Amino acid sequence: MADALRKNRTKNRRIVIVLAVLALLLAFACLFAGPSRMSVSESLDALLKRGSSAQVRILWNIRIPRVLAAVVAGAGLSVSGLVMQTNLNNPMASPSTLGVSNAAVFGANLSIIAFAGGFLDTGRNVANYATGANPYATSLLAFAFAAVSILLILGLCRLRSFAPGVVVLAGVAIGSMWTALTTILQFYATDVGLSAAVIWTFGDLGRATYRTDVIMAAVVLAGLVYFALASWRLNALLSGDAAAKSMGVSVERLRFFSMLAASLITAVCVSFLGMIGFVGIICPHVVKRLLGQDHRVTLPASALAGSILLLLADTLARSIGQGSALPVGAITSLLGAPFFLAILFSRKGGGR
Amino acid sequence: MLQILDLRFRYGKRGPLVLDGVDLSLSDGEIGVLMGRNGAGKTTLFKSILGIEKPCGGQILFDGRDLLSMTRRERARIVAYVPQDIQFGDLSVFDTVLAGRMSYFGLKAGREDESAVERILADMDLEAFATRNVAELSGGERQKIAIARALAQEPKLLVFDEPTGNLDIANEQLIVREARRLAKEKGIGILTSLHDINQAIDLGDRFFFLKEGKVRYAGGPELISESVLQDIFEADVRIAEIEGKRIVINGGFYEE
Repeated sequence: MADALRKNRTKNRRIVIVLAVLALLLAFACLFAGPSRMSVSESLDALLKRGSSAQVRILWNIRIPRVLAAVVAGAGLSVSGLVMQTNLNNPMASPSTLGVSNAAVFGANLSIIAFAGGFLDTGRNVANYATGANPYATSLLAFAFAAVSILLILGLCRLRSFAPGVVVLAGVAIGSMWTALTTILQFYATDVGLSAAVIWTFGDLGRATYRTDVIMAAVVLAGLVYFALASWRLNALLSGDAAAKSMGVSVERLRFFSMLAASLITAVCVSFLGMIGFVGIICPHVVKRLLGQDHRVTLPASALAGSILLLLADTLARSIGQGSALPVGAITSLLGAPFFLAILFSRKGGGR
Repeated sequence: MLQILDLRFRYGKRGPLVLDGVDLSLSDGEIGVLMGRNGAGKTTLFKSILGIEKPCGGQILFDGRDLLSMTRRERARIVAYVPQDIQFGDLSVFDTVLAGRMSYFGLKAGREDESAVERILADMDLEAFATRNVAELSGGERQKIAIARALAQEPKLLVFDEPTGNLDIANEQLIVREARRLAKEKGIGILTSLHDINQAIDLGDRFFFLKEGKVRYAGGPELISESVLQDIFEADVRIAEIEGKRIVINGGFYEE
C-alpha cells in the first residue's frame, strides 16, 4: 500500500514540476514575440541590455512586464476559479459568478464615463487612454467597487450561514445589478467615453507595468499561500458542509475568507488588466479532469495552467493583431473553449 | 458516555421547537437507535450532537464534558459522523480517509497520521482500495470508506444517519455487522437512525422513540411492542415471532 501511494505522490509532484518548467520556458519564449518584429538574436541582445536603446526599452519596459502580468494574472484567475468552485460546490462558479468582474467593470466605466478618468482631460486619443494622466484612477475605482460588491455579498450571506446555493444566487443578483448600472451609464455616455469604456473592458496585458505587476504578484502570492495552507480544509469541503464541519472544519469561516481572497485576487487583476474571462473555468476543470480534486495538487497545477494559458493567449493576441494586440480575453476563450470541450467529451479523461 | 439533557432546538429565531426537551443517555460500546416518524427530529438531534447545528437550550455532555462549548476540532476528536448522503471529492481512498485526521494534524498530515490510516484500512479489509479513486466505488464500498474516515477521527461516539438507506441487502448486512464489531471490539458508542424497524431490532442495544420533540420511550429491545410502535408511528403494525425472533409486520394488510 505504502509503495503504491508513494508512486502516486511522486507522479503528482512530477506533473506539477513539468507544468512549472513548461510555464517558465513559455514565459521565456514569449519574450521573443511581439509586433515590433525583433529577431531572436536582437531580443536576446536586448535582454542582456546590449541592443539598441529602443530594443532594450521594448524588451524591458514592454515585453517583460507583460509576460510577468500573464504569469501572475493567469495563475491568480485560475486559482480563484478553482477555490470558488470548491467553495460553492458548483462547477460553473468563477470570479464572474460573484459579480466581482461586473462590479469592477462598473467602477471603471464610472471613472471613464462620468469622471473622464485618466484620459479625456489630457486630450489623448482613445487608443492611448491607458497611458493618460492617471491610469490608477480607473483601476482604483474598479477595485473599490469590486471590493464593496464582495463585502456586500459576503455580508448578506452571513445571515444565511454561507449556504453555497445562497452565495451563488446572491452573486448572480448583485452582478446583474452592476451590469444594469453599467448599461445605464453607457447609455448616457459620449461616443468617446463609450468607446474608451468598452475598450477598457477588453482585457489587455499591455496595460501592465512593473508597479502593477508587483501589486498583483503580492496579492496573488498571498492568496496562494493562504489557499495552500487551507488545502486539507478545502479537500474536506468536497464532502459537503455537514461532513466537513463534523471533521473539525469551521466551514463558515473558511468559506468567508477563501471567497474573499479569491475575489480580491480577481478584483486586482481585472482592475489593472480589464476583463479576462474563462481562465477561471477552463484551467481548473482541465486540471481536475486530469489529476483529480486533491487541492495539494490542483492548486499549484491550476495556477501554472492559468499562467500557461494566458501566456499563450497573449502571445497569440500580440502576433495576430497588426500593431495593436487583440483583446486577450477573447483569445483565452477562443483558445481555451475548444480544448475545454475536447477534454469534457473525451472518454479517456472521464474516470478521473 | 453520552448524556443529553433537556435539549431544545428551533430553526431560525422564532420557528417551532423541533426538539422540545430531549433527554437521552448512551454508554460506551452501546448501539442506540433513534426511531420516529419523518420529521420527528432525528437528523436535527444528530446535527446538534455533531455541532453542525446549534441548539437553543439544554446540554450535550460526553464523559461530563460539554460538547456544545468545545471548538470544532476538539469535538471532532470525540464525535464522528457518517452522513446519510455520502459525498466525496475526486480523491483517492487513502487521502479521503486521511482527511478524517484533520482535527489532529491541522495543516499538513504527518507520518503518524498516515500510519493511523494504514491501520484503519487494514482493520477494515480496505487495503486493496487505498489508491483507488472514491468516485469509482459502489454504494456499499463508499459507505465503508465513510466509516473508515470517521474512525480516523478516533472517536468515542459515532453518529450514523440512516446507514443502510441506499444499500442492497448484502451490503446492508455487511454494514450492520461492521457497526456491531466497532461497538463491541472498540467500545465506541454508536447512535444511529434506521427506517427499517426489524433491522433496528437486530442492531440496537437501546432504543429511543422520538415524538413531538421529546424522547417518549427509551429502553432495551423488550420495549418494542405493538402499542409503542402504534403510538409512535401512528400506523397499524403487528409483531410476529419466527424462530424466536420478533418481526414487525404491516398490520394494515390483514384488515380488509
